[in-house]
Amino acid sequence: MTRYGAELKLVLRSRIAAGALIFLFVLSALAVWSGISVTQRQDAAIERVQAASASDLATVAKVYGQPDGDAGYGAYYTFHLTWDPPSALAFAAVGQRDIQPFTLRVRLLGLQQQLYESENINPELALPGPFDWSFVLIYLAPLAVIVLMHDLVAGEREAGRLRLLLSLPGSRGLWLRRLAARYLMVFAALALPLAFGLVLMQPPFLAGLGMLLIAALYLAFWSGLGLLVAAMVRSSGAGAAGLLGCWIVLTLILPTLATSAINAAIPVARGTDLTLAQREVIHGAWDRPKKETFDVFFVNHPEWRGTPPVAGRFHWKWYYAFHQVGDEAVAPQVAEYRASLAARERWSERSGWVLPTVATQVLLHRLADTDLAAQLAYQDSIAAFHRRIRYFYYPYVFEELPFTAADFERLPEYQPRGVGGSIALGSLVAIALAALLLLMLGLRRARRLGVNQASRAGGD
Amino acid sequence: MSGATIRIAREEWRALARSRVAVLAGALLVLLILTATFISLQKQAAIDEARSQYQAEQVEEFYNQPDRHPHRMVHYGQFVFRPLAPLAFFDFGVDSYTGDMVFLEGHRQNSANFAEARQSSLMLRFGQLTPAFVLQTLAPLLIIFLAFRALAGERERGTLRLMLAQGISGRQLLSGKLLAHAGVAGAILLPALVALALMASSAGASLAQAGLMMLAYTAYLLVWTLAALLVSTLLPRGRDALLALIALWMVTVVLLPRGLPELAAATETAPTRIETEVAIGRDLKSIGDSHDPDDPYFSDFREETLARYSVDDVLDLPVQYAGLVSIEGERLTSQLFDRYASEAFARQDRQGTLVRNFGIASPLIAVRQLSMTLAGTDLDSHQDFLNQVERYRYGFVQELNRMQAEQIPAVDPGEDPRIDASNWREIPGFSYVEPDPLAYGSGRIVATFAILALWLAGLALLYAFAGRRLVWIAR
Repeated sequence: MTRYGAELKLVLRSRIAAGALIFLFVLSALAVWSGISVTQRQDAAIERVQAASASDLATVAKVYGQPDGDAGYGAYYTFHLTWDPPSALAFAAVGQRDIQPFTLRVRLLGLQQQLYESENINPELALPGPFDWSFVLIYLAPLAVIVLMHDLVAGEREAGRLRLLLSLPGSRGLWLRRLAARYLMVFAALALPLAFGLVLMQPPFLAGLGMLLIAALYLAFWSGLGLLVAAMVRSSGAGAAGLLGCWIVLTLILPTLATSAINAAIPVARGTDLTLAQREVIHGAWDRPKKETFDVFFVNHPEWRGTPPVAGRFHWKWYYAFHQVGDEAVAPQVAEYRASLAARERWSERSGWVLPTVATQVLLHRLADTDLAAQLAYQDSIAAFHRRIRYFYYPYVFEELPFTAADFERLPEYQPRGVGGSIALGSLVAIALAALLLLMLGLRRARRLGVNQASRAGGD
Repeated sequence: MSGATIRIAREEWRALARSRVAVLAGALLVLLILTATFISLQKQAAIDEARSQYQAEQVEEFYNQPDRHPHRMVHYGQFVFRPLAPLAFFDFGVDSYTGDMVFLEGHRQNSANFAEARQSSLMLRFGQLTPAFVLQTLAPLLIIFLAFRALAGERERGTLRLMLAQGISGRQLLSGKLLAHAGVAGAILLPALVALALMASSAGASLAQAGLMMLAYTAYLLVWTLAALLVSTLLPRGRDALLALIALWMVTVVLLPRGLPELAAATETAPTRIETEVAIGRDLKSIGDSHDPDDPYFSDFREETLARYSVDDVLDLPVQYAGLVSIEGERLTSQLFDRYASEAFARQDRQGTLVRNFGIASPLIAVRQLSMTLAGTDLDSHQDFLNQVERYRYGFVQELNRMQAEQIPAVDPGEDPRIDASNWREIPGFSYVEPDPLAYGSGRIVATFAILALWLAGLALLYAFAGRRLVWIAR
């Protein structure tokens, strides 16, 4: 342990290294604080929306919840609120929560014309991406590793100590010790603020642990790379330049190139198409015989086939039937649209198999349930809720039952979807393998250093 | 410029050309700019084609609707698509974060949907490969990598004192290095500028906008060149200069641009879409409820209307009263839409101003703003699009309401009254007028250029000072 103590002192004696560690710690703490503030603002917004929606509903119920109330009107004017609260880990990896809506109201009309509404965001603020702990981990922590590792070997050489060090007894574990000490320091600077945040936000224990594990693997990858490059270069300047080059390529160049390729290869125009197609079906219904609409509607809803037939120009049951028929008509486009989104997500994950930065991003946000998959899961829960709403109103509308104040009390209530975070296994394996590989390569190269040095010394 | 200065610059170029890493990095960056330009041009062409095709089809669809009650057409509505500005390929700005399609109908204001960022994986947040991204984020890194040894390296090798002893003045030396590295920055910039110039002349974009954009990026890269050389002069070791410069890059290019928006978002609570909708509904109710026969606002409206037409009963009006009520109702709702939208826009502007004011500390924030504004992809141009869309929505809805008032019989209209489909063709399709950034953003453009000029002047001053004291520094 005293050897590790000595390593610690050695690192902290370098002003640059100590500065980098303190900087990382402060930024990590700030990021945790900022992430918590984001999730608290979102929780507060959800509460405000719930209050606003409740007061809106009360007004509607007062007007339309009459003893002889018509469910058609009630359903038309009643908006049903859904919301997607941030997970307890969202503070660490805000992900897309800054641009995706986390509250949405739906009513008995066609779901597909309501599902893709956007939130009022300020796009200029969203542009650079959120400042959260995942950002500090993915972008900044590698820089701290680079500062601590780039002159690991060359620094000793430049100080004229390298030969001496390698000839000392116990030099066998030297590089592993140096590596481990630096690795642990960076990890501590990063993980302590996160641990504090975890205690505050109380996510499931294993999920929090998963966060720390991902960080540990990602840092191990960079530490291994750091040692490898440090053992290869002659001067500390070359070490710094080489490692920074790797960092630029892995965090800036390759991910943006991959994104361009994926988004160009997998278009998602079906979203627009399905919206346009659905409108034609729904509005066309006004000009088609009602029987046509009902015939299609009854295919999937045979239970209402025997209800009183519609006479006259307008009836709510016909109105809601053609909205549902509109949704059903675009089901293939919806499936294609969803498939294209899923494909984009899948290919991003695959690019993580070769890009540790991307793998880490995928892992963190999947675990925090703040990625595109999370938004799609929220949309699924809205669709399920919309179905509940339909089957709640249909008996009133089709059997022409009065819809009273008491029925307003019985409206279906949305249940937020459960914990959606998971471990992206492929990415985990990829980052673990990358970390292992780089650590092995780095250590092997560093050990050869001793051998080369010894043989050269022997030859002198 | 003295001969010594040019000699030093030439020597520096020769040294860079000899360094395989420098040549490779430079080539890589140029390749990236070319790739980014190519990809972005293709993306712009694809977006342009898709949006204009959708737009044309939508107008046709609207015209092809059968005879209908005009109110049906109010809800059939119109889809509008936002066209991209000609220079958008250079910097897509907020376009990926704002929806490009808006559905317009009566008495509702729908959001712009299907933003690219909402339909992409999180990887998009690493950045988008555009010429702007390469120049704003990566080019400074290349400049740093090529320049951090410029002076510190001479010092480490001991050649600095040698040169000074040989009678080369500090000023000559530093201006030589500046000349060399400004040349490098120029070489980085060249392919992007050529692409910009080509596009500006062919795509009908404003040459003034393209020119100012070039000027902004030139100033930005010069800021980084000066900063890199200054740090290389002041720090004794190349490694230290590199780390200090990377730290500077980290703070000004990555950290501040991310942190400041967070601060801006935290300072002001933005109401969600639902809260706004509920508030608008409530305000509307407090003005008047057209469905309530005893509502004071609409009773007054009825009396006024009767007086205007000098009749005693709404059935005696020469027009359909319900149509008039629709017109009045739409007027009231739209007023509220405008009020809430301008509040939201004002809030966004305040947040943007906050970021920009702190942005004095980061030349990136300045150049990013300039770049988006001049490319026609900034927040203001999006807001302007939404404003145009709302004006168009109001116009065509009121036109349909007028058709209802004038053409649907007030008495005995029958069960299913409709008007002739030829009426739809009287409603022109949405035609987007691209806002002129040099008009609406002139104040900001000047202010942002002033920030860049301030950076340049400050760094140049320090650099000149360092040149005079170089002998002392080199000791």
